[in-house]
Amino acid sequence: MNNQVRIIRFNIFDRLFHVFIMVTFLLQAVTGLGRLLYNTAWGKGVANFFGGYDRATSIHNTVGILMIIGFVIHIAYILAKVEWKAWRRSLFSPDSLVPRLEDAKHLGQKFRWFLGLGPPPAFDRWTYWEKFDYWAVFWGLPLLGLTGIILMFPVGMSRLFPGWVLNVLVLLHRAEALLAMLYIFIIHFTIGHLRRGMFPMNECMFAGSVELEKERQEKPLWIARLQKDGRLEEAMVPGPPRWFRLLYFTFGYAVLVVGLYLLINIFLYRNFIEWH
Amino acid sequence: MKSRRLLREVLLPVALGLLGIAVLLPAPAPAQEEVTSSIRRYKDKELSTGYYEEYEVKPRRLRPYVGVPEVQRRYSPVAPYRPGAAVEPGVRSRLEDSHAGIQFYELRRCEECHVQEAGHSHTVRGNLTCRQCHGGEPIAGINYYFSPMNPIRRHAYVCAKCHEGAGISFATFKIHEPKAGDPATRKTFASLYYTNWFMYLLIVGTMAFFGLHTLIWVGKETYHFIQEKMKPKPQIESPAEEPENEQPGPDNPL
Repeated sequence: MNNQVRIIRFNIFDRLFHVFIMVTFLLQAVTGLGRLLYNTAWGKGVANFFGGYDRATSIHNTVGILMIIGFVIHIAYILAKVEWKAWRRSLFSPDSLVPRLEDAKHLGQKFRWFLGLGPPPAFDRWTYWEKFDYWAVFWGLPLLGLTGIILMFPVGMSRLFPGWVLNVLVLLHRAEALLAMLYIFIIHFTIGHLRRGMFPMNECMFAGSVELEKERQEKPLWIARLQKDGRLEEAMVPGPPRWFRLLYFTFGYAVLVVGLYLLINIFLYRNFIEWH
Repeated sequence: MKSRRLLREVLLPVALGLLGIAVLLPAPAPAQEEVTSSIRRYKDKELSTGYYEEYEVKPRRLRPYVGVPEVQRRYSPVAPYRPGAAVEPGVRSRLEDSHAGIQFYELRRCEECHVQEAGHSHTVRGNLTCRQCHGGEPIAGINYYFSPMNPIRRHAYVCAKCHEGAGISFATFKIHEPKAGDPATRKTFASLYYTNWFMYLLIVGTMAFFGLHTLIWVGKETYHFIQEKMKPKPQIESPAEEPENEQPGPDNPL
């Protein structure tokens, strides 16, 4: 692993944001599910692990506020990252996560490839599913955060709007949270771990770098663009040290196991879920 | 000429002014309220103690709370108070003792009749019993004027027991909410019904699309992977290509 040529893909901030959202998301999932399924023995057990229903609620609330703070910091980070003097080029370049027309074309091409009607799409730096992953969190976090904050202070917030709005917000919060969990624990985990080139684990979000040769096949346009701009040399970085790999493999697989455990229990207790 | 000028310069502004005042003034009411603004009503008092019965007067035709469709429909300003019609469940909501005349009432449990109302977050999570909110006997109908559950004072007499500072708006939270997926909910709680549909389509749509996408993708990649693994086999099997692979030896045990 260390003797291969590697190029940088995620800087330290991106990786820290990812680890932050992994930890907070999982905490929210566990404490939230324990309370959602409190009418079952399993839910009671999970909530009691955190010290009961009320304690699980306060942990859920605190971590939720932390997530909102993290989201605000992330907004400040991306606002600082955009080159505002050349905002058009900066926002709509292939290095940006803003969706482009190419993404829709890639999706169509991908489905044609599924049916054996053409070659797989050649990607630039971000593929359409990576962009979807990013924007799914970007829409889900404010929705969950906003509804969560309102549900945290029901008495005060019901001065701003009728109290029955809270009924709707509970439904929104639970349904969106369940969608997020299903998406992460099924789709995101499959793409990150089970794909052929990735199998034990896609390490680039933790290591920050990717193997050049692998990326030449996955994202040829990105490598070609780096080469054309003469930035390929400066993008090369050494691989992650052995202890660090061991650390993030352990961490990643711990999260995977917890996620799958929750997923299985969501399916086992699906009939006990009160949606609102 | 003169009369037209009079009309334009005096009468028209006066009429418009009167019209404006008429629009801004509260509508004529059968009873006088202590708060004249129909928008603010009790708002400045809602977060205080919740007790303002000293000043309480009968509400006007419109009740002073933000409407929940179902509750508002139940209260008809036209139908009079009819204690004689106690057998009709709809009218029972205005009785002083809403369970008057029910046989063997003392031996029965609430959830035997109120099946829909039995399981909800306050009983499942808050460990509350029915009577902790609805009170002891006699349980007055929800629209009986002096009932603690009457929407005009429910927030102070019921909700505020636990939720300190609960206001009228807060009390419109539906504890016994209808099932969001039930077609009947479209009429009683439309926003919940349509939110449910929206989230349902979002979840099913996202999971179906990306589930299918990822399943086909992983399947196809694995298929190609296996195919590639199988490919070199005929080359190994043909003796002309790499015969040394076939021969067992100290370096290459089969």
